[in-house]
Amino acid sequence: MSGWMHHLLVLPVVLPLASGALLLMYNERRPFLKGVINLISTLATLYVAVMLLRLADTSSTGVYLLGNWPAPFGIVLVLDRLSALMLVLTGVLAAASLTFAFARWHTAGAHFHSLFQFLLMGVNGVYLTGDMFNLFVFFEVMLAASYGLVLHGSGPQRIRAGLHYIAVNLTASFLFLIGVSLIYSVTGTLNMADLAVRLPAVTESDRGLVEAGAALLGVAFLVKAGMWPLSFWLLGAYPAAAAPVAAIFAILSKVGIYVLLRLSPLLFGAQAGASAGFGSQVLLIGGLATIAYGMIGVLASQAMARLASYSILVSSGTLLAAIGLSDANLTGSALFYLVSSTLTIAAFFLLIELIERGQSPAADLLAVTAEAFGDEDEDEPEDEVGVALPGTLAILGVCFAGCGMLLAGLPPLSGFIAKFAMLAAVFAPPATGTEGGIALAGWIFTGLLILSGLAALLAMLRVGIRVFWAPVDATVPRVLVVELVPIIFLLLLTLALTVRGGPVMRYMEDTASAVHAPERYIDSVLTAPPVPAPAAQVHR
Amino acid sequence: MHDDLLLTLLVLLPFIGSVFAATVSSNARNSEAWLAGAVALSCLILIIAAYPAIVANGAIRSEFDWIPALGLSFSLRMDGFAWMFAVLVSGIGFLVVLYARYYMSPKDPVPRFFSFFLAFMGAMLGVVLSGNLILLVLFWELTSLFSFLLIGYWHHNAAARDGARMALIVTGAGGLALLTGVLLIGHIVGSYDLDRVLASGDAIRSHALYVPTLVLILLGALTKSAQFPFHFWLPNAMAAPTPVSAYLHSATLVKAGVFLLARLWPVFAGTTEWFWLVGLAGTASLLLGAFFAVFQRDLKGLLAYSTISHLGLITMLLSLGSPLGAVAAIFHMMNHATFKASLFMAAGIVDHETGTRDMQKLGGLFRFMPITATLAMVAGAAMAGVPLLNGFLSKEMFFAEAIETHLHSVLDTAEPYAAVVASAFAVTYSIRFIHSVFFGQKPADLPRTPHEPPFWMRFPISFLVIACLIVGILPSVTVGPFLQTAVVAVLGSRTPEYSLAIWHGFNLPLIMSLVALIGGALIYVALKGYLQQCADGPPLFRLLDARRIFDDALVILSWRWARFLETSLTTRRLQPQLRLLVLAALLAALVPLYARGLGPLAAIPSRIDPVLALVWLTGCACAIGAAYQAKYHRLVALMLLGGAGLATCITFVWFSAPDLALTQLLVEIVTTVLILLGLRWLPKRSEAVDEPVTFASRLRRQRDLAIAVAAGVGFAALAFAVMVRPLPDTIASYFLENAYLMGGGRNVVNVILVDFRAFDTLGEITVLGIVALTVFALLRRFRPASDSLGAPEQQRVQNAFDEAQPDRKQGDTVGDYLLVPAATMQWLFPVIIVLAIYLFLRGHDLPGGGFAAGIAMAAAFILQYMAAGTTWVEDRLRILPVNWIGMGLLVALATGAGSWLFDYPFLTSHSQYLQLPLIGSVPAATALLFDLGVLGLVIGATVLMLVALAHQSVRKLRAARLSAAAGEESP
Repeated sequence: MSGWMHHLLVLPVVLPLASGALLLMYNERRPFLKGVINLISTLATLYVAVMLLRLADTSSTGVYLLGNWPAPFGIVLVLDRLSALMLVLTGVLAAASLTFAFARWHTAGAHFHSLFQFLLMGVNGVYLTGDMFNLFVFFEVMLAASYGLVLHGSGPQRIRAGLHYIAVNLTASFLFLIGVSLIYSVTGTLNMADLAVRLPAVTESDRGLVEAGAALLGVAFLVKAGMWPLSFWLLGAYPAAAAPVAAIFAILSKVGIYVLLRLSPLLFGAQAGASAGFGSQVLLIGGLATIAYGMIGVLASQAMARLASYSILVSSGTLLAAIGLSDANLTGSALFYLVSSTLTIAAFFLLIELIERGQSPAADLLAVTAEAFGDEDEDEPEDEVGVALPGTLAILGVCFAGCGMLLAGLPPLSGFIAKFAMLAAVFAPPATGTEGGIALAGWIFTGLLILSGLAALLAMLRVGIRVFWAPVDATVPRVLVVELVPIIFLLLLTLALTVRGGPVMRYMEDTASAVHAPERYIDSVLTAPPVPAPAAQVHR
Repeated sequence: MHDDLLLTLLVLLPFIGSVFAATVSSNARNSEAWLAGAVALSCLILIIAAYPAIVANGAIRSEFDWIPALGLSFSLRMDGFAWMFAVLVSGIGFLVVLYARYYMSPKDPVPRFFSFFLAFMGAMLGVVLSGNLILLVLFWELTSLFSFLLIGYWHHNAAARDGARMALIVTGAGGLALLTGVLLIGHIVGSYDLDRVLASGDAIRSHALYVPTLVLILLGALTKSAQFPFHFWLPNAMAAPTPVSAYLHSATLVKAGVFLLARLWPVFAGTTEWFWLVGLAGTASLLLGAFFAVFQRDLKGLLAYSTISHLGLITMLLSLGSPLGAVAAIFHMMNHATFKASLFMAAGIVDHETGTRDMQKLGGLFRFMPITATLAMVAGAAMAGVPLLNGFLSKEMFFAEAIETHLHSVLDTAEPYAAVVASAFAVTYSIRFIHSVFFGQKPADLPRTPHEPPFWMRFPISFLVIACLIVGILPSVTVGPFLQTAVVAVLGSRTPEYSLAIWHGFNLPLIMSLVALIGGALIYVALKGYLQQCADGPPLFRLLDARRIFDDALVILSWRWARFLETSLTTRRLQPQLRLLVLAALLAALVPLYARGLGPLAAIPSRIDPVLALVWLTGCACAIGAAYQAKYHRLVALMLLGGAGLATCITFVWFSAPDLALTQLLVEIVTTVLILLGLRWLPKRSEAVDEPVTFASRLRRQRDLAIAVAAGVGFAALAFAVMVRPLPDTIASYFLENAYLMGGGRNVVNVILVDFRAFDTLGEITVLGIVALTVFALLRRFRPASDSLGAPEQQRVQNAFDEAQPDRKQGDTVGDYLLVPAATMQWLFPVIIVLAIYLFLRGHDLPGGGFAAGIAMAAAFILQYMAAGTTWVEDRLRILPVNWIGMGLLVALATGAGSWLFDYPFLTSHSQYLQLPLIGSVPAATALLFDLGVLGLVIGATVLMLVALAHQSVRKLRAARLSAAAGEESP
């Protein structure tokens, strides 16, 4: 990487910030102009992200020294496969949600477009930064923007759930700050790579403090990721949020996962000396508990948005447990799952809004009770001529089926491949010569994964049949093309993930092995040379 | 044709056809049927064309890489066994398409039907042709999925919906089990490739995980083939259109289970576990299916249970572990498909022509449709196992195998008897099927008058029935070679000698056949009267309605248990959530500290300065007081909070951090004032408790207090531990050394903010801006609670005073309130602005900077609002805070991006001394520009929040005016 290409690295942060600020210069009476600026910026960021992905896949770890200060003193941005992957995923979700929002949501409150861009800036910053405090800053940017977005559209329910969301996440940020300062107070550095170098050398008497700091950080990330029992806010906030907001929020819980995946092997990997493996048991057990809890919630949910929120928990739990198992192969598969499940949930949140548009809440309740207490008209004469579904409903139905298959992990979409990939890693044949069995945790993980798929199948079947096959009042929702396109786009992406499974999986495995062997990352950051000062010395 | 192309085409063609079928306009029965028929026929031709190559090479293969990292390849493989199944799938598929063309109503939305049908065909071909077990599972799940859609095709019928759902849940769950089992195979063998798995039978059978693997695989196979105890979904799936039943529930879908059992037979069979598990399931299904079939009223119900029974027969044959048993099983798979498909189609014709499938209502149809009746009779005879038909041949082989001893056990001993009993029942229900429909009394009240169906609707049945006859009469000439190819493909070198002759002499199997035939006929005669009027289902068992039980189970699972668990594991309230969070944090910090210790507290200060101690005591008291008063006395709490903040400021000053102190002081002031402004709009809280204070609530409060104290003390202890330990080798020393030399500023804090870590600052000011925007957006829609709408108490008192005085107008006192301070505040405006500029300019070298300056400037605006009121200020001052935020960010960004022009990284700063006229040499750094952005943003954000709050009063006045106007109009 050289020349102007080098500056690409900072663009995923700078571009949204610039457009977010620019959007503030136009007032709210020009939604179209604002929308266009937002869209251009979002697409440009996505384009940059894709270029960065290519770069990350071909060349070594990219390091960007902000202010030209050498690491570990200044702030660095680091680009590797993992961060590039997350950037692209976020960009895709952003493009989809934004397109969807154009139909109606973007005018439902003030400053939607600016907040949207700032959210992207925060999320992208989290992926790129290589500095603990800077990570906190970008977390704050992301959270602050999400506070604004979750309240977007107003309404008492949104405000109530939104304020819960804000209260819990502010507390978590507070813990984050305490954690960072504890770590800094002992190690004297904020740079992640430098931290990884200094951690093994921490004296025995200081180790308790560092680990306490790391554990507090962990709590903050686990709140974000939605580990049970720190995840209840999510179940209120996501269903209450406007559909495009909920869709982009699908990435937010993955941000917590991302940080854990980045820091856990970097700081507490095999090379971390006395602290190696710190916290992985918590991730594993917490993850398994979260899958179980999410699965129960999925089964118990009647409202679709709640079902989707519980699906987020299942997905988070799966990823946490996978990280907790600390196995490079499994991590690769889990990354595939991360991408697949995030796309799924985002598409599902968008879809839910369209489906529910056609339904009255009363009819919903009627259907639910009819199911619980048996249909009265069970001996209705059977009419053996089919009924045609109206076109809109048919498209929505196909999309719903797609989401159902993805959540349940049924073929042919990527949910199946993702689940298979993770299980294949758990059941990987033992290396020749070793007597390798399958660990108990692996069995439980497998069981929960299978059962959670089944639970999703049951729940989606119930909802799908209720909505598409036996609607109490058959009104066809009015749906705009611009709302269908992003959903179909996301679902087609999951199909593409399946078809191009080979190269995608190769990328994920490379990512995972780099994450689990962070020496190169550390080395790249700490040896990154600043641009030499011009010959004439300017400072006196 | 090239093998790759041929196999790929075989699997893809139906899917492509499916997509096309879905796009045709609805009610296009003919074009849909042509399309589907053409696809099925092309597949059949392709398959037949491949036969010579299979005979010559054993199998044809094609392999494409898919996800090599996971051992998943798109590998297709057609050997004799797969060939046999592929012929069944595509051949019967073609016949059913032809049949469906006439069966489906012209009004039916057939594109959906044919689209699903073709997709199912593709999935089924995928199952039989997969050369990779994961690929097989993938297609396997697809067949479940499309069968769900096909069964639920008439989804406006509750039976169809329930049947479809049940089928998908049972077979889908089985598929998940199968996936796990296949993964275990992969674990044992190291590959999912079918050829390698088939070659690793010994390794699998001797592996410690053999039993779990076997159980999981069996779960998949038995659910799919509707074997006991998973048989219940099949009768409920009869709500599907008859073509679907004819295709899925006789020839293809349900055969996938036994297909898999046969496919993996060389690997798994021959162990005790296999014998017992598979044998029990098979025998139970054989008996139970046959017995239940007798008592069905619905024609298709009878056929469904008969299918369960016949598949049980196949399963049982496979369980024996003997090669001859496997031969019989494979042969019967073929035979069953032919006669059962034709019977389903015949039942469909009866239903189509008469409008009912109830055998108690039907009768005497022979005279209306003699040809169909004849065809059905032949097929029924094949099902009963009458000689000269194909069903007889495989049943003879079955009897012969049943009497052999395979593994000394009760099951083995019981099998011949079970076989005879089940066969007798098979004869009974076959006779019932024929007799009650085509003979006996002419039906009285049929919905429609029956007549022969069109020739082409009957053609598929005729074709299959002729096949039954030919195979039954001349087995070794017609089907022999194909069966041999299939058998060799499964058994390989273990292929036994067998004979397909009709006459094997007067031996035990023949006697058993005769017993079954005669016994079955006798049973029918005995039961005939009862069957003519009994309720649906066998005696006693009919009380167990599988559909109802399954529904109830689902409801209990999801409605009762899951909901109970969910509600007991979840909270929607904020307080418990925060409690959990604090507890989690406490635990997170305590566990490592408990394990590792807090370390030595080396530098505990020996001398405590009394003044600082006093400041701290006051600060602590304020903080505790604030927490104590927060619920009911917000104003008091806020003031106390200010006290705590001041103590912090003083501490900063004490420890020589003037920059921090300055910023902290300004922030304290501005936030306190803003919150004060906001307090006005919060709903009042009364101290009266709304619920009685019980022991439990007291306990809860004590617990919360304990948690809060523990967390607070814990964090204080952490902070103390950090502060008393020697400073590690931190990056801070670098900042101290380089701030002036390389950052061009003497105020290290400021240089850190705008240079070393300017990126952080950029983020933080963005946060501030976002928060302001959010506050604005939130307050714009804010409607204050009704009890805070009235004028504050002070204003009420003042107004009352005005009214009491004759010479004063109402509002005079309020208007004059704080007149002198207000005038002072207005005059202070320029002064504060100058101070702010001063703070800003000196920031790089002395305490100050953009942030402090911005806050100071904002304070000036706040004073104006307080002194003169919103309307007065906004009439004179045009502030556009949102634009200020935007400009601030853009300026900061532009400063950062400016370094790109010189090819330096973002935010690289540059500083030098400028020679200004009159003033002389002045230090200047680009960081100052950055700080200017900070300044603009801080002003904008603070003022925006101020405006948002201030406008509440304006809006309130407007609302009051509006309501007053409304009040005047209404009377």
